[in-house]
Amino acid sequence: MIRIAAVGDIHMGPESQGVLRPSFETLHESADVLLLAGDLTRHGTLEEAQVVAREIKDLAVPVVAVLGNHDHHADCADEVTAVLQDAGARVLEGRAAVVDNNGARIGVAGTKGFGGGFVGRCAGEFGEPIMKEFVRYSRHRADTLRAALEELRDQDCDVRVALTHFSPVPDTLAGEPPEIYPFLGSYLLAEAIDSAGADLAVHGHAHLGTEHGMTSGGVKVRNVAQPVIGRAFHVYHLAR
Amino acid sequence: MSPHGTRPARGTGDARNLDYLVAHLTDQLAAGPLGELGVRIEIRGEAILLTGTVPSAQCRDDILRSARAELPGHPVHCDIVVADNAAPDHAEEVE
Repeated sequence: MIRIAAVGDIHMGPESQGVLRPSFETLHESADVLLLAGDLTRHGTLEEAQVVAREIKDLAVPVVAVLGNHDHHADCADEVTAVLQDAGARVLEGRAAVVDNNGARIGVAGTKGFGGGFVGRCAGEFGEPIMKEFVRYSRHRADTLRAALEELRDQDCDVRVALTHFSPVPDTLAGEPPEIYPFLGSYLLAEAIDSAGADLAVHGHAHLGTEHGMTSGGVKVRNVAQPVIGRAFHVYHLAR
Repeated sequence: MSPHGTRPARGTGDARNLDYLVAHLTDQLAAGPLGELGVRIEIRGEAILLTGTVPSAQCRDDILRSARAELPGHPVHCDIVVADNAAPDHAEEVE
């Protein structure tokens, strides 16, 4: 059995230093890896990233993360990434990572992803340049997720997990106003997951959403935004 | 003579209607120093209801202070809760 711990949207700032660390220090008892599904900071500043770094540094389980939209707000996402990597996290954007722990070999393909909406209610690559750029940006993120998952096929992984910040499915947005779904996720992510294959998809971003969902291809999706799961993290057991 | 006579133009000439104020507060919470997109602001008659989950009590207090400053004369009710940082007591078996 593979044990995946995950949480997103922890939105840490200077006042929240130390609030998650006690729970994270129990992870070796319950999980083989910790996935962080973006929005780790409130504004994406280096000071906030350093708060997150101190929460995850030297944990007994590997940490794999993607950034979220909040982590981009201060326009220094690369520096935020570097701070988290210095603390030992694998920070993915259109890339894959394989972590080995407790005899488990876990492949994670990660991207922040982006919005655009879901089938029949989505933005199209048409019209003004900024609209086309919006859709192209989302499509590129999905394409890199697909490539990263495909790369993991040949890595002898026990399981493959898709890690995003934006949602691949509308199921896990239930509870959010339907009018804002196009800003919460994109079917392009689900299409990438279904075409490349995965054992689980994990995302955050939708604080008012629902934990459980599934792609049309049958991949289970979990919204692990902390306001949704109501804990420091949730743990998912997957068969090898 | 105007076909509308002396009837005032539609609208009041004052755009400080409560729905616009709420929209501006939503923008301010997101783009301002709080960076908060996870709070829902709903109109209940002349009052405002804040709901959602935030990472800290300080964040909740800051949001409530901003709402009261931006919406003077409107009661602001706060049902915002602070995130629970406890470890889970069970795991999910994903079939």
